[in-house]
Amino acid sequence: MTADPQLVRPPRTGWGRKTSLFQWRQPAFWLYAAIVLVTAVYTVSQQKLFQDLSPTGWALSWLLLLVYGLPLFLAIYLLDLYEREPLSLVFGALVWGAVAATVLAGIANAGWGLVVARVGGAAFAAEWTAALTAPFVEESLKVAGVILIYLIARDEMDDMMDGFVYGAMVGLGFALVEDVFYFIAIFGGTTGGVLAGFYVRVVSSGFYGHVLYTGLAGMGVAYFVSRRGEVTFGRRLAVALGLFAAGVGSHFLWNSPWLNFFPETVNGPADWLRIPLAAAVKGAPLLLFVVVLVNLARRRERMWLEAALRSEVGSPALSEPELRVLLNPPARRRSRREMKARAGQGAERLLRRLQKEQINLAMVRTRAEADDAPEVVRQRELCRSLRDALLSIPGAALARTATGAQTGAER
Amino acid sequence: MSASVEPVPLPAPPLRQRRWVPVLVLAAVMIGIVSGGYVTSDALGKAGGETVAVSSSVTVTALPGWELAGRFTDPIGVRLSKGSASLDVASLPFTGSSEGLLAAYVQNVLEPGAEQFRVSETVEGVVLNSGQFGARITYVGLFGDVQAPIEGEVTAVVTPDGLGVIFDGWAPSGQLQYAIDDIHTMIQGAEIT
Repeated sequence: MTADPQLVRPPRTGWGRKTSLFQWRQPAFWLYAAIVLVTAVYTVSQQKLFQDLSPTGWALSWLLLLVYGLPLFLAIYLLDLYEREPLSLVFGALVWGAVAATVLAGIANAGWGLVVARVGGAAFAAEWTAALTAPFVEESLKVAGVILIYLIARDEMDDMMDGFVYGAMVGLGFALVEDVFYFIAIFGGTTGGVLAGFYVRVVSSGFYGHVLYTGLAGMGVAYFVSRRGEVTFGRRLAVALGLFAAGVGSHFLWNSPWLNFFPETVNGPADWLRIPLAAAVKGAPLLLFVVVLVNLARRRERMWLEAALRSEVGSPALSEPELRVLLNPPARRRSRREMKARAGQGAERLLRRLQKEQINLAMVRTRAEADDAPEVVRQRELCRSLRDALLSIPGAALARTATGAQTGAER
Repeated sequence: MSASVEPVPLPAPPLRQRRWVPVLVLAAVMIGIVSGGYVTSDALGKAGGETVAVSSSVTVTALPGWELAGRFTDPIGVRLSKGSASLDVASLPFTGSSEGLLAAYVQNVLEPGAEQFRVSETVEGVVLNSGQFGARITYVGLFGDVQAPIEGEVTAVVTPDGLGVIFDGWAPSGQLQYAIDDIHTMIQGAEIT
C-alpha cells in the first residue's frame, strides 16, 4: 500500500469526529446558551405580536418560508458530500442566526444609526443608514455565531466547506426571521402583502442574501482555524478578513442606493418582472463567486478523501474501481440505481451502507495513530463483510461489474 | 556567569484557562458592537433641552439629544430629530374632532406620498399633561426616495378654539421603538394655548 506522493498532505486529525452542540464543559457553550436564551424572550414576544396583528399573514409567512427554507437547509447540509456536520451543531448555527443575531442586530443597528445621523445629518441618514450600519453590524454578529460553534466543537471545523455550512445556516436562520418581520411589518401582513413580500424577498432575491454573506465569512473562519501548520498566520488572517469583507461589501452594495434598478412603484407586470432582474444585478456576481469557492472547497474535500483512502486500495476494504466511484458522487448514485435495478432494493441499501462505511474508513484512518490500529482493522473488516453480504445477493455481482466496482475477483 | 544559558520556555497555560480567553474576547467584541453605537453617539455630544416654538400657540420642549432639524410653512411646523428618528409637529386651523384631524392628515399628507401604506385599525385616545385630549394611530409604509420602510405614530389634538396640532413621530422600520418614549414625553409636555 503506497500513497500517491501528490496526495501526501498533513493529516486532518479531526476529520470524521462527531461532536454535539451540548459541550457542558466548554465556556463557549455557556456563552452561546446564555445569549440565545435571553434573546429568545424578545424573539418569542415579537412573533406573538406579529401573530396577534395578523394571524393569517403570520401563519402564511412561516408556511411560505418553510417551503423556501427546508430545501435550502437540506441543500446546504448536503453540500458537504463526505463528512456531514452533526445536526445539533447545524441547528445550533440556525438558531443563533434566527434568534441571537437578529435581536442583537436590531439593537446595534439602532445605536449605530444614531452615529450615522449625528455625523451625516437626517437626510443623509435616511438614505444611507441601512448601508452603513446593517452590513457591518449584522455580519459581525452572525459570524460571531460561527466562531462560537467553532469554539464549542473545534474538531468539527476542519475545512472551508464546514465553515460554509455553518455560516450559511446562521445566515438562513437570520433571513427567515427577518423575512417574517418584513412580510408583516412592511408588506402589511395581509395575504396579498405576504405573497408580494415573498415574491420580492424570496423568489426574486432569496439566493443573494444572508446565506451567501455569512457562508463566505464562515469559510474565512474555517480557513483560519483549519490551516494551522499549512499556511502562515498572516495569510490565514488575510484570507479570513478578505472573505468577511467580501460578505460585508456585498451586503453594503445590496443596502446602498448604488446599482439600484428596482422600480420605484409597481404598476404592472413589467414592474414585477423588473424586480428579479434588479435583484440579479446586485446579487448574481456574489452568487457566482460563492459557487466557485464552494466548488473549490468540495474539490479539496475530495482530495482529502482520496489521500485518506489511497493507501487502502487493494485492502479487503476497498478496490481501485470502488475508490473511483466513491470520489464521484453522481457515479455513487448511478451505481446504487443500477444495483437496485439488477439485484433489488435490499442490495441497493447494502451498497449504500458499504459506501458509507468506506467513507467512514477514511475518517477512522485520519484519527488513528497507526495503519494497523484496532479501530482501522475493525472498519476494514466491516467493509469486507458488507461486500461479502452484497455479493451473496443474486445479480449484485453483475451490477457491480457494470458500474466498475468489481472487487470479488480481485481478492 | 555564562551567557550560554538557554531560556527555559514557560509551560503552556492549562487548557481550561485557554478556553476562556477566546470566549471572553468574543463576548467583549459583541458587547462593543451592540453598545458601541450608543456610546459613540453620546460621545459625539448631546444637544437639546431647549423649548422650540412651533407657532404662536404651540411649543415643544426637545429632550436631550433632540435637535431642531428644520422648519416648514404649509402647514407651519418644525422637525425635531435624534439620529434616524424624527418628530414633526405642525399647527393649523381645524374645526372638528381629533379623529377627524387624524383622518385628514392620513388622507391628505401621508397616503399620497406613500407606497404599501398601512394604518393601525384602532385609534388610541391620549391625554396631554395640559389636559387636552388627542387621538393616535400608527402607520408603516415606503415614502418618497427613502428606500428603508418607515414606521410612524401620529397624534392629533384639536383645541376648542379650532387649533389643530399634529405630532408625527417616525423612523426607519424597527428603530422607532428606541425613540418612542422620548416622542411620547415631548408630546405629553407640549404646550398648546
